[in-house]
Formats: sequence, structure tokens, C-alpha cells
Amino acid sequence: MSSSKPPKGHFTILYFASAGSFTGKQSEHLAAPLPLRKLFETLEGKYEGMKAHVLDHSLVTINLNYVDMPEPGQEQEEGEKEPVVIKEGDEVAIIPPVSSG
Amino acid sequence: MSTEPEPPSPQAPAIDFLQDEESNCYVALTHDHLDVNSIMNRVKSPQAGAIVLFAGTTRDNFAGKEVKNLQYSSYNPLALRSMLSITQTISQKHSLKGIAMIHRLGVVPVGEESILIAVSSPHRKAAWLAGEEALEECKARVEIWKLEEFGGPEGGVWRANRDGGLGEKVG
Repeated sequence: MSSSKPPKGHFTILYFASAGSFTGKQSEHLAAPLPLRKLFETLEGKYEGMKAHVLDHSLVTINLNYVDMPEPGQEQEEGEKEPVVIKEGDEVAIIPPVSSG
Repeated sequence: MSTEPEPPSPQAPAIDFLQDEESNCYVALTHDHLDVNSIMNRVKSPQAGAIVLFAGTTRDNFAGKEVKNLQYSSYNPLALRSMLSITQTISQKHSLKGIAMIHRLGVVPVGEESILIAVSSPHRKAAWLAGEEALEECKARVEIWKLEEFGGPEGGVWRANRDGGLGEKVG
């Protein structure tokens, strides 16, 4: 999948498999910075029903590394590591359950 | 038989690949037909008494439903990275002489190969085990997706290996 470089103040998000079918897109650019914990609600706001149909059983990568999705509504606790923020120029991907072979 | 890889023909689509020459691991993705000889040649070694080759081919049905068309898509850079990591781990675990894994992308007609894995080792037992482990690991975690179209009104279905059930319907 190819995607153009995001414009200033944006990151690229790639939609694979069912994520691509649901959004009707292979990729797009979204405004950065965006806290990772806001990603799913941002997508749900754009594509109603995406959370239940796609995101709840997908994984997320940022720049080819898997990231843990924080629990929704969970406030950061004392001593917890810095929350992940998606930055300008990052490449984020929605990874639904895989099916090679 | 030569151990040199065949030179690509001019019209052949590019192969996207990664390799670790030190441990003789090679992984690749291509839209072209898969070639059994070239993947076997990548793992041949005078120290290897066994080569195990696995060829996964596309089936014409899922749970009795006729599959009309089948295609694979991939997150290439991440899929290659995962494939290389799998092959490196398995190569070390089983002291292999070589391991090569190639997956086809795009439309794969029913009955053709979608994946080839070749493994070489001094003795056959390690090669059998490593070949099976490589396939299972690939199916569990490499970032490649299969879309099956049944030709009926329901459209296509994204398969999910982890539960063996029907995936998300398209559209």
C-alpha cells in the first residue's frame, strides 16, 4: 500500500483489510498531534460503528511498532509512563486479525 | 543444478524482500507466480542432508461454500519484518542451514501456491519441525490478509486465521 507524505500538522493512517472496507479508503491524513487514547474515538466519530466492527479486534502500529491501546476513559495514574502521542509525520496503521498462508 | 537465483525476467513484477545473510534467512512478497525451485535453491547447502518444502495452495471452498476469487493484501514493510524475525528465531532454535519464506499477494487463482517455505538442516527431523513452526507462526502473526469472494450476494469476506471463522463482510 502506498501513501503520500502527510501535509504539515498531520499523520498518515493506513486501513488494512476490514478497516479499509469499512472506511472505503486505504489511507488518509489526520490532524496531529493526537493522543493515542483519542484515536479510536476520533475514528468512531468519522466512521460510526467502526469501533465495534473493526477497532475492538484490531491492533495498532505507529511507525511499524505495535503500541498498547490505553483503556478508554482510564485516567493516567501516578507514576505511569508518559502517554503515547501520535506526532506529525507518523505512520499509524490499523491491523485487523491476520490471515496469511 | 545451479545455486544462483534466477535473474528476474524483464516483465516480472518486483519482489519485495529482506534477508539475513549471516543466518541464511530470506523472506519475500511478490505479485508473481511462486517458483518452487528458486526458493529451494536459496536454502541448499552441502552441510544440509534435508530440505523440507511446504507449499500452501488456495482452496476452492471454505466450510463447503464455493470460493470464486481470492486475494491477499499486505502491509509490506511490517510483514517482511515479521517474517524475517520468525525465520531468524526458528533458524536459531533448530540450527538450520537456511530458511526461505515467500508469500504471494494480489489475486491468487484457486489451486495455485500462495506461500512457499523451504528449510534446510543437517538432519530431517529439525527440518520437518522448523517448517511446520514457520508456517504456524506466519499464519498467526504476519501482516497479510486474505479476502475470499463467494460470488453470492454477500460479497467478500476477510478471513481471520486466529478463530477460523468467517471474518468481516465487505460492503
